[in-house]
Amino acid sequence: MANLGGWAGKVLRVDLSTGRIWTEDTIARYKEYLGGTGIGYRVLWDEVPADTHPFDPGNKIIFAVGPLAGTGAPCNGRTAITTLWPTCWPKPLVATGHMGGQFAAELKYAGYDAVVVEGKADSPVWLSIADERVEILDARPLWGQGIRRATVEISQLLGPEAVVAAIGQAGENLVPMSVVMNSYSHSAGGVGAVMGSKNLKAIGVRGTGRLRVAGPKGEWERLVKLHLSLLGANNQHVVPDSPQPWAEYYDPGSRWKAAPGRKWGAAAPPIDTGTCDPHNLNRMAYRTNNAAFYLGDVAWKYTVRGNGCTGCPIRCHTMIRVPAAAAKYGIPETGQNTCGGLNFGRSFFRKFPDGPRGETAVEACMLGMYLADDLGLWCNYSQLQRDFQKLYYDGIIRQKLGAEEFKLYPWDKYEKGDPAFLFDLLPRIARKEGELGTALGLGTGYLLERWSLSEAEWKRDDDLQYWKLGHPKHHSAEDAGQCGVVINTQYNRDPQCHSHVNFTRNGLPIAVQKRIAAEIWGAPDAVDPVKAYTPMHPTKARMAKWALLRKELHDSLSLCNWMGPWVASPLKERGYRGDDSIESLLYSLVTGDRKSRDEMDLAAERVFLLHRALTIRGMGTREMRVRHDTVPDWVFQDPAGKAPFSKGTNRMDRDDIALAMDLFYEEMGWDKATGAPTPAAYQRVGLTDVARALGEKGLLP
Amino acid sequence: MTQIQDRGREVNPPKWEAQSQTAIQVIRHSSGQGQLATEEDVLEELVALHLLEGPPAGVREALAEILAAAKTASDDLRETQDQNGERRYYSAQFMTEMYAGLLVRREGDPLHLIAEIVRENSSLYPRPFPIGGFERMPFGMGREEIRQCLDRMAGLDAYQDIAQTTTSAGNTFLYSRTFLDPEYAAALAEWIDVGQYDNP
Amino acid sequence: MDARGMDRGAAKQTLRAAISELAVSRRQFLWVSGISIVGMSALGPGLTSVAAKPVLIMERANGLVVSDPTKCVGCRRCELACTEFNDGKAAPSMARVKIARNLNFGPKGISAGQRGQGNWGNGLIIQDLCKQCPHPVPCADACPNDAIVVQPPTNARVVDAQKCVGCKMCLKACPWEMMSFDSDTGKATKCFLCNGTPKCVEACPASALSYVSWRDLTGTVPPRAVRLAVVPPEKAALCDECHKR
Repeated sequence: MANLGGWAGKVLRVDLSTGRIWTEDTIARYKEYLGGTGIGYRVLWDEVPADTHPFDPGNKIIFAVGPLAGTGAPCNGRTAITTLWPTCWPKPLVATGHMGGQFAAELKYAGYDAVVVEGKADSPVWLSIADERVEILDARPLWGQGIRRATVEISQLLGPEAVVAAIGQAGENLVPMSVVMNSYSHSAGGVGAVMGSKNLKAIGVRGTGRLRVAGPKGEWERLVKLHLSLLGANNQHVVPDSPQPWAEYYDPGSRWKAAPGRKWGAAAPPIDTGTCDPHNLNRMAYRTNNAAFYLGDVAWKYTVRGNGCTGCPIRCHTMIRVPAAAAKYGIPETGQNTCGGLNFGRSFFRKFPDGPRGETAVEACMLGMYLADDLGLWCNYSQLQRDFQKLYYDGIIRQKLGAEEFKLYPWDKYEKGDPAFLFDLLPRIARKEGELGTALGLGTGYLLERWSLSEAEWKRDDDLQYWKLGHPKHHSAEDAGQCGVVINTQYNRDPQCHSHVNFTRNGLPIAVQKRIAAEIWGAPDAVDPVKAYTPMHPTKARMAKWALLRKELHDSLSLCNWMGPWVASPLKERGYRGDDSIESLLYSLVTGDRKSRDEMDLAAERVFLLHRALTIRGMGTREMRVRHDTVPDWVFQDPAGKAPFSKGTNRMDRDDIALAMDLFYEEMGWDKATGAPTPAAYQRVGLTDVARALGEKGLLP
Repeated sequence: MTQIQDRGREVNPPKWEAQSQTAIQVIRHSSGQGQLATEEDVLEELVALHLLEGPPAGVREALAEILAAAKTASDDLRETQDQNGERRYYSAQFMTEMYAGLLVRREGDPLHLIAEIVRENSSLYPRPFPIGGFERMPFGMGREEIRQCLDRMAGLDAYQDIAQTTTSAGNTFLYSRTFLDPEYAAALAEWIDVGQYDNP
Repeated sequence: MDARGMDRGAAKQTLRAAISELAVSRRQFLWVSGISIVGMSALGPGLTSVAAKPVLIMERANGLVVSDPTKCVGCRRCELACTEFNDGKAAPSMARVKIARNLNFGPKGISAGQRGQGNWGNGLIIQDLCKQCPHPVPCADACPNDAIVVQPPTNARVVDAQKCVGCKMCLKACPWEMMSFDSDTGKATKCFLCNGTPKCVEACPASALSYVSWRDLTGTVPPRAVRLAVVPPEKAALCDECHKR
């Protein structure tokens, strides 16, 4: 095969049981799966039997990136981590976590597209990767330390440029609700304990190599600039949050927060974010301030700057400096994260003395980040915090804990909204200490089971956001009606798919969204205004398929699905259109393997179908429609009793959703009755071997 | 150019171009600052650069010609009218028509401004608009000022469509009943103010 | 006569005469490009007489990339632009603007822990840039093949790949460790200001880099490494022309 650009060329294999280290040829074995989740699913399919438990040495954990990782393609910094999932209930199935930061790029520069770890070391170890020198080293001095210390100590060995993905005490203690974290604030949820079960404390990488860009450098420069020109702010919001001279539109809910007078107040001296005309590519990093988005205007004075993954201009992490919190709680002055990570501490509390966006909320965030990002705790997309609130205020915690253990916690602080409560709670979860510490660390499904609580009750609750298998929804009906619901049926944890919501929340008027939707998915009916949903339409199924496939494509290529796809842009002269073929353009030019948009989507479908096959095999059933692709009751409810398809509600209709699933299966070419892919569907994407294996087990429709 | 020469004026071609270019630059600069340019702005700059002098009447006439020529010479210059019917200028390179319209409305009756913004949001996106949004730029209204406007609007026929809804976080949003019914508006306001953050 | 009232032609003639008197074996390559009266006069009034002039002096650079650390967001797009758009590969380890080494802990490195700069410290990211040094230019002086030359019109100090033999002496010489080595070509490389439109400046999404008129930063930016002058013996002899009394 011709020398392809992009890929580093090697998959690193490590067996911690035997200490064996070897490599595979990425192109020869995995080219058709691209990388990332593609490699992850293929390894699990080929090498890990269905009934393996996540903590068995036979489970494998695959850290993988794609051909675009480490290049100048915008938004390519995420590493996909595939494994059998500890919090998936009642039976662990395949799932993935993702972490940003510098890991993806450094792994590529070291010469690897993926690291597959299997087995279990006899005692704590860490994996040292310094270009071609790979060693399994003693981590006993690091064991018991938090992620921060482990990272610093490994950096002392590998150098200050090293990138370290480490687990904290939570992962060491096999707490399912644990993360692996790199580059200070970038975590992948749910996998910490898998590493812990292998006695793998960390992977440290130092890469001094390079990646070839196959296409002519001038052409590559032009393509990169084209892609940059189409970027909005975080989550591809393409309008600012307040009227700006250059903008026709605005959206108070937009993550595009820059405006004259809004400053990075903790920069020395402060920097005004100013008017960020989208044509000025030298001001892109000022558009997004997620601390201000979540915490309100109070966050501006604490903002030092943005931060984020290698090569990404968006900077969705915000670094904040809060001296008062440092003084009050004895923690470092700076903290940084985004989204669930930023809100980790804050989300536990029902209220704060000074409201949801006051100084106390900021303190809670600082304390939460300080504790959780060192202990390595996972929030399960904030399901942990939602569950906690319900369990406490419904009296369940008091009931399940003995009186003695209940007394250990300063509940008055919790009810008052005193962030110091976190000092008592979070370390106990990481140490599996006590009944509460243990239960909360299991993940919702296993917690419900342990405490004999009803999953049905969780599925009826309007506020918990619980979906199935122990995990919450991730952008469902509230964002994209039936399209969102379909997406949420397909995975074994929250889907982490943003393809659809990046579009529906981009801030453009509904007429503009519908115009673009017609061009991309076939009719303006593909999207509805939020909370004014209309009955199911075939183009909504098409959009759901597109959203799912593009998520897998991004997770395999290494593009950030929190930013892409890029079907809309902030550019008035383009009619706010983006470019739906950006992924294929980037791939073709970097690798030299020319693929059209449809050919890339076929590769994505291959990856997606492999996930489907793994799930079917793992569950031992082909009855996916009734046993896996379920929708919780709350989706069909409205707290005020409003009817489906009336204005002001997200409420879906059961028959309409049944039709949605029908149309989705039809769109995918799957069997409607079972929801299982047909042999033809597998064949079309080149998974005939998978179909055969499933057929032998009676798992084809 | 030919026009002026036909009038028999001995305008030096380089000076004529400089006049036109100066006008273009003044307008573009203003737009870049988020402002509409007035004829006075252009005149001030021309005089400061000694590109235009003479008796007031002649100057006015010349200015009009310069501005007309500037529009021809550039493809981004646009003209609009303010509340008093005076001509205002902006560059489409830096400012959209919608924003220019907003600036014009801002100079006029604040009640009308509020109503138009609320109606526009309620029909276009559609969504209610937070009251606090009027405190921010480019509106820059005071909280008390906004409250007083809303009180007055409540009693005027022309603004009966403008209504309020308050979210669970205690923030008030405005919407137009012409485009959004109360339950829909309330649900949307709750989504913008609370829901979106609970579903990050 | 040029603008400074100097007769350049005459000066060059005299220089040639002066050099022909020097007993140096490889005198052709001693015509380091860009010899100028201005360069020489920078050394002080005592050296403006034409007899026995040094020939190692490079013309000053006209431009310089400077950085604002308070704006750097650590995205490293400058490193990527430098190598992808110039060399056709993503190779931050040979980028001519250097971010990665200061990204986590700052220039003091790991010993600074969480008390230094960078992402683990106070957030400040120092962007390391070539200062396009005035005479003496450490990298150029160190090169035994005089492969580092001045490139008009920017007058950046540039590695001439034809002449470079990959000995890496220049890498050892730069006090700011700004030289890079391309292991694919086996040649040293350094910031050449991209012929006047630096790609790093263009790529920065935070406007943290600017391309400005040259000014001497060699005295203001602390060096990363303590370096002894690394000058091949033939060149060192020429230093004596000005510096030995």
